[in-house]
Amino acid sequence: MAERRKYKKRFCKYCEAKVDFMDYKDIGALRFSLSEKYKIMPRRLTGNCKRHQDMISTVIKRARAVALVPYTVTRKAVVTAPFENLR
Amino acid sequence: MRHYENLVVVKPTLTAEEIQANIKVIEEIITSNGGEIATTDSMGMRKLAYPIDRNERGFYYVIYYTIASSAISEIERRFRINENLLRFITIKYDTNREIVAWKQLVQKAIKRAGSPTSTEAEAEVATNAAAEETTEAAAE
Repeated sequence: MAERRKYKKRFCKYCEAKVDFMDYKDIGALRFSLSEKYKIMPRRLTGNCKRHQDMISTVIKRARAVALVPYTVTRKAVVTAPFENLR
Repeated sequence: MRHYENLVVVKPTLTAEEIQANIKVIEEIITSNGGEIATTDSMGMRKLAYPIDRNERGFYYVIYYTIASSAISEIERRFRINENLLRFITIKYDTNREIVAWKQLVQKAIKRAGSPTSTEAEAEVATNAAAEETTEAAAE
């Protein structure tokens, strides 16, 4: 008899929403895959599938390059509410 | 002809007219190289996520266009020469899926440009919607 799963089964939220394309200008949508320190969350924590993780990582990197999303947040370089001027 | 999108960040220290003049120059670079501008979208003055050359803010402007892929290198060269641009990013929409998304983005931008008076209200609604989404995601 197969051993029972001890943890909750994770699923890809983007697959569920049937996301085909992500826009790097839509910062609110990126928030889910970013940690508190604005690192890209690993797949093992978010449960994203490989395809959507690849999409989100390129999109986040684009947003970082044009200063829509910070690269890092440290104690020295604190970003005060970086999502306040969303549109 | 391929589908492209350019986002440029103009220096915030310029006056409003100078920014408009700069944007006109940018659009002219694209059209003079044989590009067809589908639509443009001004995201306005925004706070940067991190300071660039000691600037805390920047004027964001998005241009959607179609152009032959060989002209992109020339456009990027001209952008690099322009000192009034803090950042620019060129994105190619290649696959069928991406082209569909590009068309949707263009439609959205046209709609937004068509109703400039309600952009602020829309922005508020958008932020509220985004906030709700995040709270929902957190609740889940």
